[in-house]
Amino acid sequence: MEIRDLTDKTGEWLRGTGKESDIVISSRIRLARNITGYPFLSRSNLKQRKEIESLLRNTIIESSIAQDISYVNLNNATSVDKLFLVERHLISKEHAAGEGERGVAFEKSETISLMINEEDHLRIQVIHSGFELNDTWETTDEIDNILGKRLNFAFSARFGYLTACPTNVGTGMRVSVMLHLPALGMTKHIEKVFNAVGKLGLVVRGLYGEGTKVSGDLYQISNQFALGKSEKEIISIIESVIPRITSYERMARKALVLESKDQLEDRIWRSYGMLKAARMITSEEILQLLSQVRMGVNIGLIDNIEIQTLNELFVLTLPGHLQKLQGCELDSTQRNIIRASYVRKRLEGL
Amino acid sequence: MKCESCNKKLATVHLTEIVENEKKERHFCEDCAQNVTNHFPKAPSPSDILTSLINQVSPEIREMSKTTCPVCGLSYLEFRSQGRLGCPMDYNVFKKGLLPLIERMHGSSQHVGKVPPNAGAEIIKKNEMIQLRKELNEAVEKEDYERAAELRDKIYELSGNVEDGD
Repeated sequence: MEIRDLTDKTGEWLRGTGKESDIVISSRIRLARNITGYPFLSRSNLKQRKEIESLLRNTIIESSIAQDISYVNLNNATSVDKLFLVERHLISKEHAAGEGERGVAFEKSETISLMINEEDHLRIQVIHSGFELNDTWETTDEIDNILGKRLNFAFSARFGYLTACPTNVGTGMRVSVMLHLPALGMTKHIEKVFNAVGKLGLVVRGLYGEGTKVSGDLYQISNQFALGKSEKEIISIIESVIPRITSYERMARKALVLESKDQLEDRIWRSYGMLKAARMITSEEILQLLSQVRMGVNIGLIDNIEIQTLNELFVLTLPGHLQKLQGCELDSTQRNIIRASYVRKRLEGL
Repeated sequence: MKCESCNKKLATVHLTEIVENEKKERHFCEDCAQNVTNHFPKAPSPSDILTSLINQVSPEIREMSKTTCPVCGLSYLEFRSQGRLGCPMDYNVFKKGLLPLIERMHGSSQHVGKVPPNAGAEIIKKNEMIQLRKELNEAVEKEDYERAAELRDKIYELSGNVEDGD
């Protein structure tokens, strides 16, 4: 499969299905693993990097983790292709920006992605749509077991799975739940959420993980600690927090409807109008517009757009995607024009 | 005003001495002042300041500063400046320095989660014991004695085959 073949579809995690999918966009789990007998990547030479890459690539392909696995070698991928894969959440920003032999294996539905030579030798990632941490963990655990039988993962009884950065040591696990919280953002109550989850050892990040800013009212809640608790305990901590945040968001939406219905409706309909009429839209603006319209669908104000369409537009209108769709590199003005026309086309067809 | 001792450098240290009710003013440059009186402490060099700061903030750095991993060649100082370890062996070589860091990051330094499927039976059992002991403590805290008794029996069962963990 070529990257080109992915441009007119999206991963299953954007389907808008699963529990609490009005607010919870996706549930993601990743595990960091290194193989014994090799240094971590910062200390590996070119030859070792290459050996690690081919050992992992071959093991993944031979162990038939899933049907229809594609492999992209990032060392000779174009910068647009790498950006596209980041936007898709198939690789991380760091993986795209890295150097040397590295790549990503992912299956057709884009639920499973295996990053080779990112910060660690291997990162196993599974994403599901909605609030589905248990299913996500089951798949992750299964893949880890299959690969763990064929490879020797660096492990110690004391510290657990050994990783390049000591923040990941132990389970090597990071759980992230992506939430759409426009009402908490609008009413500024989001700060309270940040404080509350911070006390539980959790952290809130933007759309593309560490160090990225929040846009489109999309937040990722994830664990900061990876050691001293089992995988299931870490999951259950996050699992107990999410419903509180979603019900808080629902309360904030109800309060907005009660207290400032006219302003709220005006804002949502204006955003909808902009999406259907504008000729140029920046990447920052479209996230705000889509966020408003998404809430409009959630509160029953707009009933002729599927949540899936909006979820997909969050990704399909990103710079890498537009350039892939157009088949050439575009400057930001060209992107703004194509973005606007792409959205109009998607919304007119309704 | 020039230093009254060397007569060359500028006098920057001014002392007032009182000897037998007689007041006497003396003026020295910094270097001569060191020789004349021990009241005037030498100004610490920037590297002294840095060392004392490091000792205050992270005493482990000084202790570990000469340690280098024989496997990957990474020194402890390089690790502290980059934040990334060089190989799995570093966790052993730098253990003394890493332990407090890991404690701070995770609130714990004992793994209780998954064990690789092909890890030795010993490690798997050891890990199960750690997990069971942890659950036992929690059960006792919650005063769930039924569960605690169950866990205790499991631990007895296992401990016949395995040595105590560190």
